[in-house]
Amino acid sequence: MKELIKIVGEENFTDALEELVPYSYDASVNVQRPNSVVWPESTEQVSQIVAFANEQKIPVVPRGSGTSLSGGVIAINGGIIIDLSRMNRILEISIEDRYALVQAGVVCDDLNGKLAKYGFTFPPDPASSSVATIGGNVGTNAGGIKGAKYGTTRDYVMGLQVVLPTGEVMNTGSRTMKCVSGYDLAKLFVGSEGTLGVVTEVTLKVNPIPRYAMTAVATYDKLEDAGNAISQTMTSGLTPSVMEILDRITLKSIKENTDIDLPDAEIMILAETDGYTREEVQAQMDVVLRILRENNPSLIKTAQDEKERLELWNARKSAYATLARISTSFVLDDVTVPVSRIPELLVGIQEIAQRHGLVVATYGHAGDGNLHPQILYDEYNAEQVEEMERVESDLFRLAISLKGTLTGEHGIGLSKADYMTLEHDVVEMDLMQRIKKTLDPNNIMNPGKMSL
Amino acid sequence: MTEGLQFYEKWREAIIQCSRCGFCRAVCPIFDVSKRDLANARGKMILLKEAMEGKLSVTDGVAQALMRCTTCMNCTVNCPSGAEPDKVIKAARKEMVTIGYDNLFKAMSEGVEKYGNIYGEEQRHEWGHKKGKAPYVLFAGCVGAYREEESVAETIRLLDLLGVDFTTIDEVCCSGVLEDVGYKVKEALAQHNVREIRKTGANAMIITCPYCYRVFIEHPSYKDLGLEVKHITQFLAEVPLQVKTDKRVTYHDPCDLGRHSGIYEEPREIIRKIAPTFVEPERTRENAMCCGSGGGFRGTFPKDSLKIARNRLDRIIEETGAEILLTECPSCLHNFRNAKLRRQKIEIYNITEFIAQLYEEGASQEKQAAEG
Repeated sequence: MKELIKIVGEENFTDALEELVPYSYDASVNVQRPNSVVWPESTEQVSQIVAFANEQKIPVVPRGSGTSLSGGVIAINGGIIIDLSRMNRILEISIEDRYALVQAGVVCDDLNGKLAKYGFTFPPDPASSSVATIGGNVGTNAGGIKGAKYGTTRDYVMGLQVVLPTGEVMNTGSRTMKCVSGYDLAKLFVGSEGTLGVVTEVTLKVNPIPRYAMTAVATYDKLEDAGNAISQTMTSGLTPSVMEILDRITLKSIKENTDIDLPDAEIMILAETDGYTREEVQAQMDVVLRILRENNPSLIKTAQDEKERLELWNARKSAYATLARISTSFVLDDVTVPVSRIPELLVGIQEIAQRHGLVVATYGHAGDGNLHPQILYDEYNAEQVEEMERVESDLFRLAISLKGTLTGEHGIGLSKADYMTLEHDVVEMDLMQRIKKTLDPNNIMNPGKMSL
Repeated sequence: MTEGLQFYEKWREAIIQCSRCGFCRAVCPIFDVSKRDLANARGKMILLKEAMEGKLSVTDGVAQALMRCTTCMNCTVNCPSGAEPDKVIKAARKEMVTIGYDNLFKAMSEGVEKYGNIYGEEQRHEWGHKKGKAPYVLFAGCVGAYREEESVAETIRLLDLLGVDFTTIDEVCCSGVLEDVGYKVKEALAQHNVREIRKTGANAMIITCPYCYRVFIEHPSYKDLGLEVKHITQFLAEVPLQVKTDKRVTYHDPCDLGRHSGIYEEPREIIRKIAPTFVEPERTRENAMCCGSGGGFRGTFPKDSLKIARNRLDRIIEETGAEILLTECPSCLHNFRNAKLRRQKIEIYNITEFIAQLYEEGASQEKQAAEG
């Protein structure tokens, strides 16, 4: 402990119980006390902390805002939590060369606030962007609503500074739009959930902000019709910037618990097109509307102005809040399937829910097949906890059977660690283990995550 | 122990309403300057959850942690899960006191009882203004009377200039703040105030302090006042004003006036009348960041409180480029004035104080013109 205080100073270290308790949690169900928390203010400090931990073989868990939905920032074997929130400086914005260089603790919305002044943006937009850090985005390869058109964090990482498990500082990547010089080590760290090192600086590609957007909403009484509308839109030659869905359970919950006016429907689609000119955006929206109409919608609405646009977004934006009010305990998953399999996934989820007697409301990003089944249960009811675990287990099996993946954007963390072998065969798991061992022979970096 | 069980029984649902999403980090003034999880609402809701589940024993550290909140309500307003941390934390502070973890407001509570004000000042502040019967009665509150006297004196001068027929009273502390820090309103003081106010025969009461305003509106001890209770911005919004400034003016919403009382428009109506160049801070109205003085925070953590005020002030200056920062709360005013650095050119006033000065400037200019 004395060593840590020597590195970061007394005011940036704690092992007080009341401070460790909040750091024992994230937004998932996982809980474990760390032994201490440090708030470094420089890469050099992080390097010294990790070198010390490696020497002493103490687990180290990097943490940003702790919004993780998978237990990715829980110190399951105890150890030191490195809270990077104070490393929150935007070091450089170069619009000319289209990149931003930031420390890992910079909050997404803070970066985008600064970039907006130049008409630029870092497109991945997780729902937690008002608090989520860039370091956390890199750790989980965060996506968000606009993934189908704009990709995920991985697509924007040009370079990284990483403190390796030995304490060495590695700078990798480039400031260029193209780069094929050596192995792409930066991408290896994207989505590695802090198991290979502590990301301290990130060079991000930035995009111009589209000047116009148009929004439409359609509801359907048959899943099949909505599925067809989604597939046909995604193969029509244009890529909508938003293609969201809300299932019957979600719509019903919103309708019964808010004053938002919604029709009774099996599913709602919210679509948006964006672009540089109004004409271009309108032309795209015309195609989307034609397809939505051709597939037997029970209702179609478009927005004429910003106020109406926000109204159309109201239901989607209220989904989480409504469900969190109905049931204080829930698990929010992020299984992802090929777009054509979405109707099967939705039907399968409801079968699973009924089988285990729990409510599962599903909404999410249909454009890239990434859905968020929110499993409602009571954490103080042992039977329901068991059923919740069974629902998750069946859900993961279902996603894999549909050629999908366990996680589209939240990460494996602890919650899905036991299911890694469902998706990855022996050869792949073995290579992951070998990579982990090579970089982190003492297994100090965020141990227990991804079952590595 | 029974009390403990009762507390958790009553507040169980409210405590588990937090889904630990952490969105409160974006709006917590204490977290903003400390970056420690314990500082924001999620941290404290987790402490209470563990205490409720018997996983965490309450210690001095836990009780002290619960004092780390300005009760500004920004987390409550912005909580996606509908949790109300400000209410839970206030209740938990009372619970801590009940089970034996008194805080430094125990002494204040005794002082308030003895001296009738939160500062233990032996001499009651006199405004030198008429006392007796009048259509309006003015209530200034402790912070105004004992820490920002000059500002309140200007407010009084403005009311006189505007020809408002009002009286002051032998006021004592409304004692509402005790409810937020673990203790209770002093009934004897409340009854004294009620008696004094009723004696004036006034139809309406004008209150300069937003916190006192809330107490008079919300607390059962003040339900028998028999007159209309108005914050001074509500009163002034309906009065025509004859002065203007060409300076760049901005406004800070006091938490007690804005989020707690829903009064956002009236101060702006007044400012728009006198200042054509009025600019809003980026975080304003429901999302305005706290000055750091509320909920007993300034008393318990004076250094951190000042740091928060400095943080808010820095951002206001950066975002608005304003020459004048207006607010209408003696606590916000006091904290900002203490936080302001010499190199920062911005001037900070209560709205009423600023308007009184505009009248004075106008009068002296007229006088000069007449003499010249």
